[in-house]
Amino acid sequence: MGLALAVELPPVEAPVVDDQALIIATLAGQTDAFGELVRRYERAVYNLALRTLHDRTEAEDATQEAFLKAYRALNSFRPGAKFSTWIFTICYRGCCDRLAKRKRLSGDELPDRADPSAGPEALAERNDEARRLRAAIDALPEKYRTVVTLYHLQGKQYEEIASVLNLPLGTVKTHLFRAKEQLRKALSV
Amino acid sequence: MNHDHDDLDDLDRMLAALPLEEPPAGLHARIMAATTLRPEPAFRGWEVWLVGVLFAVAAWLTWIVATIPRASERIVDTLLRAIDHSGLDSEYTLLWLAIGASAAWWISQLSVPASLRERLRIR
Repeated sequence: MGLALAVELPPVEAPVVDDQALIIATLAGQTDAFGELVRRYERAVYNLALRTLHDRTEAEDATQEAFLKAYRALNSFRPGAKFSTWIFTICYRGCCDRLAKRKRLSGDELPDRADPSAGPEALAERNDEARRLRAAIDALPEKYRTVVTLYHLQGKQYEEIASVLNLPLGTVKTHLFRAKEQLRKALSV
Repeated sequence: MNHDHDDLDDLDRMLAALPLEEPPAGLHARIMAATTLRPEPAFRGWEVWLVGVLFAVAAWLTWIVATIPRASERIVDTLLRAIDHSGLDSEYTLLWLAIGASAAWWISQLSVPASLRERLRIR
């Protein structure tokens, strides 16, 4: 007589490999390891670029460029440093270059470019909380928007934000405080 | 320093709950195609430069030899004079050059343990 046992085992999860190990594996020639790094950070990097540049196509290009630069400079990555801070710094610098180029081409200081996807219909739909908040963040000046993006949307710490933006810690806190004040006014929270 | 949770207000909660926007569908593939999946170039940058410079020098010398009368003899004379002046005809100079080249080759064959390499890199 066969004894059938229906035992429900918990799903076996693969051990989470840390970023440092993935970098070492990439340098050793394992392409999958870099793919995993990209998978982990592409969303965050894309959001940072999108909030900074206000343009989806440019944000996509800036994200790709950031990962390409990181890949080429992976040899110089300092052991013990955080990959997230490094890739955000590369991305932010690339975005600053793009913004500077925009200003140069226009010959004057332009307001941030409007998101092409935010047409009248899209704007009319921004009635729920998340959409209102996104619109309010998009309306912030660039320096505040980036701080808010890094701090709240990506769970960054003050020191890391200061490192990414190359700003003093006090300036980061001031920017964040002022950004939140503007958001509160815009949202009437 | 982490977020201060004691001063969380409605705005902080709204921000914390705000989902990140999804990147375009093909972005991951584009990044991979531009990085790890990109085919290796046949030559490195410095190799292309080196070959280019050598070709340019060879073309220049050919042009000199072809256009200036007795150019090859004058080039050989110049080279011989340079060897005289540099002392390359001396046995001692040649001996020291041989010792230097051997030492350089021997050092290039040494292998450094990975742990020591890592420590040197950190410094």
